[in-house]
Amino acid sequence: MKPEYRFSDSRRAMLKAMGAAGLVTAASGLMVPGHVLAQTLENAQAQTPKYGGRIRVASTSVSTKDTLDPAKASLSTDYMRIYMLYSGLTQFNRELGADLSLAEVLESDDQQTWQITLRQGVTFHNGKSLTPQDVVYSLMRHKDPATTSRVAPIAAQFADAKVTGPNSLSLTLASPNADLPIILASSNFCIVAEGTTDFTRTANGTGPYTLAEFSPGVRTIARKNPDFFKPGRPYLDEIELVGIADESSRVNALLSGDIQMALALNPRSTKRVRRSGNCDVMQTESGLYTNLIMRQDVYPTNNPDFVLAIKYMMDRPLIKRALFRGYATIANDHPVPPSHRYYNADLPQRPYDLDRARYHLKKAGMTGARVPVFASPAAEGSTDMAALLQLAGIETDLKLGINRVPADGYWSNHWMKHPLGFGNINPRASLDELFSLFYKSDAPWNESGWQNPQFDQLLLAARGEGNEQVRKQMYGDMQTLIAEQCGVSIPVFLNIIDGYDKRIKGFYPIPTGGFMGYSFAEHVWLDA
Amino acid sequence: MKVILRLIAQRIGVSLITLLIVSAVVFFIANLLPGDAAQEMLGQSATPEAVAELREAYGLNDPPPVRYAKWLGGLLTGDAGVSLANDRPVDALIGERLRKSLLLAGFTAVLAVPFAMVLGIVSAMYSGSRIDKAVNIFTLSMVAVPEFLLATILVLIFAVELNWLPSLSYIPRDATAYDYFRAFAMPVVTLCIVLSAQMARLTRAAVVEQLSQPYVEMALLKGATLSRAVLRHALPNAVGPIVNAIALSLSYLLGGVVIVEVIFNYPGVASLMVDAVTNRDMPLLQACAMLFCVGYLILVLIADISAIVANPKLRKGG
Amino acid sequence: MRSQLSALPVSGKIGLSLVVFWVVLAIIGPFITPYSASELVAYDVFESFSGKYWLGTDYLGRDVLSRLLDGARFTIFIPLAAAGLACATGTFIALFAAVSHRRTDETISRFMDALISIPSKIFALVMIAAFGSSVPILLTITAISYMPGSFRLARSLAVNVANMDFVTVARTRGESRVYLAVKEILPNIVHPMLADFGLRFVFVVLLLSSLSFLGLGVQPPQADLGSLVRENISGLAEGAPAVIVPAIAIATITIAVNLLIDSLRGGATYSAGSK
Repeated sequence: MKPEYRFSDSRRAMLKAMGAAGLVTAASGLMVPGHVLAQTLENAQAQTPKYGGRIRVASTSVSTKDTLDPAKASLSTDYMRIYMLYSGLTQFNRELGADLSLAEVLESDDQQTWQITLRQGVTFHNGKSLTPQDVVYSLMRHKDPATTSRVAPIAAQFADAKVTGPNSLSLTLASPNADLPIILASSNFCIVAEGTTDFTRTANGTGPYTLAEFSPGVRTIARKNPDFFKPGRPYLDEIELVGIADESSRVNALLSGDIQMALALNPRSTKRVRRSGNCDVMQTESGLYTNLIMRQDVYPTNNPDFVLAIKYMMDRPLIKRALFRGYATIANDHPVPPSHRYYNADLPQRPYDLDRARYHLKKAGMTGARVPVFASPAAEGSTDMAALLQLAGIETDLKLGINRVPADGYWSNHWMKHPLGFGNINPRASLDELFSLFYKSDAPWNESGWQNPQFDQLLLAARGEGNEQVRKQMYGDMQTLIAEQCGVSIPVFLNIIDGYDKRIKGFYPIPTGGFMGYSFAEHVWLDA
Repeated sequence: MKVILRLIAQRIGVSLITLLIVSAVVFFIANLLPGDAAQEMLGQSATPEAVAELREAYGLNDPPPVRYAKWLGGLLTGDAGVSLANDRPVDALIGERLRKSLLLAGFTAVLAVPFAMVLGIVSAMYSGSRIDKAVNIFTLSMVAVPEFLLATILVLIFAVELNWLPSLSYIPRDATAYDYFRAFAMPVVTLCIVLSAQMARLTRAAVVEQLSQPYVEMALLKGATLSRAVLRHALPNAVGPIVNAIALSLSYLLGGVVIVEVIFNYPGVASLMVDAVTNRDMPLLQACAMLFCVGYLILVLIADISAIVANPKLRKGG
Repeated sequence: MRSQLSALPVSGKIGLSLVVFWVVLAIIGPFITPYSASELVAYDVFESFSGKYWLGTDYLGRDVLSRLLDGARFTIFIPLAAAGLACATGTFIALFAAVSHRRTDETISRFMDALISIPSKIFALVMIAAFGSSVPILLTITAISYMPGSFRLARSLAVNVANMDFVTVARTRGESRVYLAVKEILPNIVHPMLADFGLRFVFVVLLLSSLSFLGLGVQPPQADLGSLVRENISGLAEGAPAVIVPAIAIATITIAVNLLIDSLRGGATYSAGSK
């Protein structure tokens, strides 16, 4: 069932020009249906799942902005709600790859035109059968401005989608993209029934749970979908999803048994949770990071020596230890975590080196200068990172003034608007998506305004590259470029810590986010 | 009686004028906020084109006076508009939350007001005595503890350690009286402590003030008992400041309880309004603000009327 | 002055000495911190009292004593200034309203009602979202939030007094409005207003800590005492001094201010119980 990747002549020529060696057929393991793989993993854990039970789980926030529309999902609570009620063509696995879900076959010869065959016998919650028309509608609606889709920039590459048979369709991209299976696994691309425009009260999906109650800003109650297309799933009878914004309240609710799962705990709470005896924490090493942005279009942060000086002033071990109590992974000023299959392990780790920082500051003519840095609780840990950086600044004779601004409105009013400020980027399984959104010269959120033609060229080439080894090499080179030249400093990746009642079973980390990449609902069961 | 009815009608008329001022103030303040719903909706992923389109769709491009007029016109015809964040009618969003808020406020008021009055009057009657000092220290220390600390301490003791009460204030479907008690116990106690300390102190101050007046001294000299002097002479004159203090304290129960709502995850109107600020959801924000103002005005109206009824001199003077 | 001091009851002396203690600490505190208030000095967080860190360490491993000394000034001076401003302006506008023409009185009262009916936390939330969070902004917001409340109380007291016989007598005597307001009414409402000031001081302290709960108060690395309680709240379960000590500090400050004010009006307090 493995796909045969064939390359056009022009692609060959381009790869040759870039010095890539022999082409090997990719072996991506894409074609193993998701539930089979997941079940194998769970069976290895030796317990037979039990059915039934009701749990209450808490994420970090609920607001009136809560949505039942996959296209509008923008917060962790939304992602969880969507994955409870809907399914995607593919879904993430614990290796950050994508397994098939609603799609039975997803293949392409050129990474540009994809043939999709749907699983048969899938029904929506209202009884309607899943058709290729539904999929075409679900994918193409992101391109309609009226949808106000969060992933409109990504969906822009969907050039055309058409039904090719009673159970199949083809999706043509504007340019080749080998990461499509991963892109389609995000909650935003979950499948809705054709023609659905009103999502205010009902959710007609194919997901493991059906909607029983939805009060925006309060809670969502979902009941087991008896007709779920994966045999034997899901396990629980009912899930109540709430949001508790205050972290210490979230921990207290978990410890007092009012909730069974709590998203995103503070590293300092882990001791308390573990000590309780009946609760535990699950650590997910992810690509989530808080970064310092040095705008490349304004003085003084556009000076390459200033950028390097700041990168040497990041005391990564201290940040990991003091700010995150060890629940972090040291990063190397580029956004790819060590756990990612394309991670460039050959790139030397940048040390904390104030002598070199002083040297670069002097070279930049910035010794003794005064620069404001903007931090906010909106970018997790940024205010404390700024404080540590300020201390390093005292050592190197750079006066950093911290402007701490409230989380409210940070993304629209401060993010990327100051020469020196913090950002916070969620993990993305697809490096192509990550780089296209945040690092390409014309990226919509090119945080530092970094312009690098070589990087852009590599990115486009890697997107259409079907050969895993060549791709890895390309992504490795891009990591080097970012680490050495881009105006962002990424000190550490933040591990996501979830608290859970020990009776919850079948819970393992999926690195796209907390709560199994937000898709816990179809996997967990209650051992009560 | 006729006089009083006319006064009440007058007060209601005056309140309506206040509401009009409020609507302008609210609109003005809400429009000080930087950014708008279009930006917040798209959040971190906003592109200028997408924001511009959404802004047009929301009607955010009209000049402020036009938007104010549209909004006010809507309010007068009973249409509070549609939430920009989730396309539901604002009154539907508020309605359910308001019921919850009123429930919490009601329970708290029923407990806190009598408690505070008794505390205040007793310590005023025996001002300077040991009771007075004990009450004084008690109310002072209660008023000095940050609300979120008080709530967290209660949760740690009664939910986490003893496991007697739930840490979240959820009312299950088909709840019994006992369920209500469990859900409300901690939030109500927290709010009672915060509010009654303040009310008790103001009550005491007002009664003490009256007790120092010559007419009370006269009554005492004529042989009236202390409690009679307090109840018959001092209290009616102290009613004005006391009901005012109560009105102020109770108005806190609608919009000021955001911290209790956050900690106990209780879905009331205050946290709804915080949401509205974060999402720049102006129709919802303005509607909530108007709601708090109406609530406050009703309380003040009641306070004013009771003061008039209680004090014959004011009755004449208007 | 001295005789006035020695005339204070014991509770007043306690209050006064605590107030003096905190004011002095607030002034010299930032200069006598044993460590830098923002530096991470210890690896262990939420340490208890020790010889090295007298009041233990906070959630990041900073010295609690240093942070307390550095933060006291915000909790003393912002509320002092804000409550003073709120009460003074509130009282004077109320006096003006009480002796003015009914229409003026009504207009002012309506406007104040409009202001007061906006909950202080929500008002602060919107204003801080609009103007950012800095000490001057916090001072302004808290003063504006509490002024209409003072006004309402003062006005209701003033109207009561204005209807009393001795004021009516003074009015028929042909005294000026200023005279009526300042000489006849003000002395009779000043005591409840002092009590009000004490309460309002406490309110501002609490509003500041509520704002820090919502992430809007005094901004780190600086922190008022309420922010210290808030940022260390997760240490409460283990009884960390980092959360308990600032809470006690807030309590002593607010209680002291109120004890002092209560006893200053002590002379005027009619002690009916002792009769």
